[in-house]
Amino acid sequence: MSDASHIKPATKTAPISRGARIVDVLKRDWQLYVMLLPTIIWLLLFLYKPMYGLQIAFKDYSVFRGIANSPWVGFEHFETLFNNDQFIRAIRNTVVISFWSLLIGFPVPILLALLFNEVLNQKFKKTTQTIVYLPHFISSVIIAGIVIAAFAPSAGIVNTAIRALGGDAIYFLTKPEWFRPIFIGTGIWQEAGFQSIVYLAAIAGVSPTLYESAVVDGASRWQMMWKITIPSILPTIIIMLIIRIGNILEVSFEMIILLYQPATYETADVVNTFIYRQGLQGGQYDLAAAAGLFNAVMAFTLVMAANALSKRYSRTSLW
Amino acid sequence: MRNLTLSLALLAGTALSTPVFADGHLPIVEEPLELSIHLHFKRATAYDENWPVEQAAREMTNIHLKNATVGSNTDNSEEAFNLLLASGDIPDIVGTTRIKEYVNQYGPEGAFQPLNDLIEEHAPNLKAFLDERPELRAAITSADGNIYYVPYFPDGKYGRAYFIRQDWLDKLGLETPETVAEVKTVLEAFRDGDPNGNGLKDEVPYFARQWEEAVRLVTLFDGRTSGSDTYHDFMVDDGQIKHPYATEGYRDGIKNLAEWYAEGLVDSEVFTRGSSARDFLLSENLGGMTHDWFASTSGYNRLSSEIDGFAFKAFAPPASPSGRRLAEHRRIPVKPDGWAMGFGNEHPIETIKYFDFYFAEEGRRLANFGVEGQQYEMVDGEPKFTQEFLDGGPVNAQLYQVGGQLVARGFPQDYNYEIQWTNEIALEGIALYDQGDYLTDQFLGVSMNTDEQKTFDKSWSSIRTYMLERQQAWILGTGNVEADWDDYMATLEGMGLNDVLSVMQSAYVRQYGG
Repeated sequence: MSDASHIKPATKTAPISRGARIVDVLKRDWQLYVMLLPTIIWLLLFLYKPMYGLQIAFKDYSVFRGIANSPWVGFEHFETLFNNDQFIRAIRNTVVISFWSLLIGFPVPILLALLFNEVLNQKFKKTTQTIVYLPHFISSVIIAGIVIAAFAPSAGIVNTAIRALGGDAIYFLTKPEWFRPIFIGTGIWQEAGFQSIVYLAAIAGVSPTLYESAVVDGASRWQMMWKITIPSILPTIIIMLIIRIGNILEVSFEMIILLYQPATYETADVVNTFIYRQGLQGGQYDLAAAAGLFNAVMAFTLVMAANALSKRYSRTSLW
Repeated sequence: MRNLTLSLALLAGTALSTPVFADGHLPIVEEPLELSIHLHFKRATAYDENWPVEQAAREMTNIHLKNATVGSNTDNSEEAFNLLLASGDIPDIVGTTRIKEYVNQYGPEGAFQPLNDLIEEHAPNLKAFLDERPELRAAITSADGNIYYVPYFPDGKYGRAYFIRQDWLDKLGLETPETVAEVKTVLEAFRDGDPNGNGLKDEVPYFARQWEEAVRLVTLFDGRTSGSDTYHDFMVDDGQIKHPYATEGYRDGIKNLAEWYAEGLVDSEVFTRGSSARDFLLSENLGGMTHDWFASTSGYNRLSSEIDGFAFKAFAPPASPSGRRLAEHRRIPVKPDGWAMGFGNEHPIETIKYFDFYFAEEGRRLANFGVEGQQYEMVDGEPKFTQEFLDGGPVNAQLYQVGGQLVARGFPQDYNYEIQWTNEIALEGIALYDQGDYLTDQFLGVSMNTDEQKTFDKSWSSIRTYMLERQQAWILGTGNVEADWDDYMATLEGMGLNDVLSVMQSAYVRQYGG
């Protein structure tokens, strides 16, 4: 609205060139642009400048020769990767782990936010919120330590419970079939609380008048949640979903490195851990860059597709 | 900057004009000479010009090392080294861990100067050291025939040993096991006989801080697990490069180890217990036997003040079914750590003389023991640490603080430095190992040329992953080694193990003369 009123005087006078209009806008809102500047600089320095280095994926890279002086090798590294069964397996594991953590992990923070919203006792609400936020602030190394201890066969709490119920202890962390449930569950436990903040904020933004009129019409709390709260925060949910899809291949690999074993590589080895072992431990930076580039292209395609679909069906989109 | 011809011309010029003293004489130069150094390893991430050892070396040689270390804020030496290379500005001297693979790659590209001729002409002590040990000279030679670094040569023979709770043996009326069958009997007795006397069946018969040390038990059944002090490494058998995980002995070993694991003779949590396993299981009076370092493991006998009768003693490697007694893990005589000369160094002769200084008597003592009168005194012609120094905490950690025992410096270690603070029980164990002939030759690594390296890089990492996956699966009982073996060998073949072995073999023959 305010934009329209500002532009009006410009259209009234003689037609102004595009360049002049940009100068005009800059002059008027310069404070806003100054505030934007640090982020732009950060983006350029840390996200755009490193893209120059991506070319080593197509080169026989030597740190000493430098990026520019290393010889080109075309798609050799990509051929090596796709001829490697373990890389294919890593892609499959990445997609499967991501898919399940999205399917199970995505609704949990929304549910949490809805539940918190319904809690009337403020003291109880504050306490539980703090408790569920807490794991987010603990480092992965400690979380992994807790997980390893909890699932230990001799004295771990899980196996103690299994034995108390008459079962046999299971060495969970060496069983390929158990790795994904444990990893995904840990991820949800660690992050769900913190992720619910976004939805809580969205719920707080819903106009109280809607609820007031619903109360007047005799709606139950259940109905209000389904008919008012959820539809009102739906755009937020969709945006968060698109962002999550963009990060679908970014499985938190430091956690995997801390929890996996050769015995569980079969289900646990993802693209990033593969890159870590092959590229960084083996010193093959060019190969690692090729795998990383492939990962990035996949993620880009996914987020574009998700955005297009969302635009078409829900008219909500990132851009 | 990368113009090598120019810098070589410069070098030649300076070499002619600088007055240089006759070989082996100190000081190396008349006028003080400053050389820049990048020095980085886990325990010292920069070169400290105030180290007493540097001060003493400065006085003796007149060469002053100036700190030019890149990446001192990280303890990751590889990261620091990459930063240094990427900056393009390489100091006169570069010392770091795993420098061998860096110089072998970047030396031929022109980042480091070849040292062969310099050693031949200006480093009499280093030359004599290498002449006496041709296999070590071969080990540090790169694929193009040049030597690009001066390594840290560890001294002493033994690393890890088998340790057992002697008091548990006594309590159960058992003898120290001499054969693998007796080891099994002992471990079963530990499992069933309640040697810790708490009425619970909670003893962990065999435990290890690294799960690879459980795999090491394969050597008791005539298998092998590594040819060097690194886990899962290649080995040399009769002039042939082999991988231990692709040999018959390994198959039998894994079969037996899987049985031991299933029967609870090996810690059921060995894969996740981690580095605190030894500390936890010994202080909780639960662990019976392990395979670990002499010095640190012997140190746990201090627990005898808390646990009645606690005695954790080293015992000789038990005999395998074929009668072999093997201490597979030993100290490697040459490390891939040490220092090298950057391409821009304009004083190569002075630098090699400085390198050589640490191979001469005075320099070697300085690098090993610190400074006379400060850290040690000469007693009957031998350096002895002062009591005050010995009481000041772990000796090696203290020496790092003064600039001694730096693994990123090329120097020959002197085992006497360690004996002075090794406890009685460890010394007893070492004497026991010295009585038998338990050691085997080590694989000291090969330097591959570009093509060989390419073949190696392409396949090895995946093969290794596959080997370890199968290894753990067999031990855990999710696979059967007997049934899977032919399939396993065929898969290794299909993944290119033979190509890897053949490029290593050709590098080995070139380097060590077959």
